[in-house]
Amino acid sequence: MSVPFASYSSPDLESHVFRVDPTCPRYQTTDGSTTGPSPHVLNAGQIDKDRPSEPRTDDNGQITTLGQLRCHLTGLQDEINDFLTERMEIAKGKKTKLEESREQRIETEIKGLLDGGDDNGNDDNS
Amino acid sequence: MALEHSLDLQIPFETPQQAQIAVKVLKPDPILRPDDFEVDYVSNGSVLEVKFRSIDDRVLRVGVSSVINSVKTVVEAMDELS
Repeated sequence: MSVPFASYSSPDLESHVFRVDPTCPRYQTTDGSTTGPSPHVLNAGQIDKDRPSEPRTDDNGQITTLGQLRCHLTGLQDEINDFLTERMEIAKGKKTKLEESREQRIETEIKGLLDGGDDNGNDDNS
Repeated sequence: MALEHSLDLQIPFETPQQAQIAVKVLKPDPILRPDDFEVDYVSNGSVLEVKFRSIDDRVLRVGVSSVINSVKTVVEAMDELS
């Protein structure tokens, strides 16, 4: 059985591919880093009752094929979540900059109107 | 607004029957915001193909993570019952 695969695209990013690396620890656990309660909640004493079960093993102690698939999906989910969270932060930053420049422009226009339009930025009151 | 943010996911199962079962289990889940998010499930041999389309990355993240959680539950159930 091969491993899961994902690809992302958006207007400003043609393609981003997510590949599972079975040797990476991220793809060897069912306990993801981006799912479940946050460290803040856990440090406050909350007990994680919904923690995922360990991957199932066969009589020889080997993780079953479906157990491996669950581990791979967990790692892929973390990878995708991290990537999209990063993109959200970038989008948020862009939005904030746009909002800031818009507010600055409006403020300048208002100031210009209140000063009778003769303010060229030289606030020399001396 | 157009659903221009997309993610295609391919999940290989052990058999075509398992992929078909996964489609049947996942498909009835209602989409809470169909104007902002779409998801489509297809089985191609033993591979489950999931196509997500969304209005932005935030909605995409929530939708994709939720579906992957559901897929993991389906896989776990298959593993326990096999």
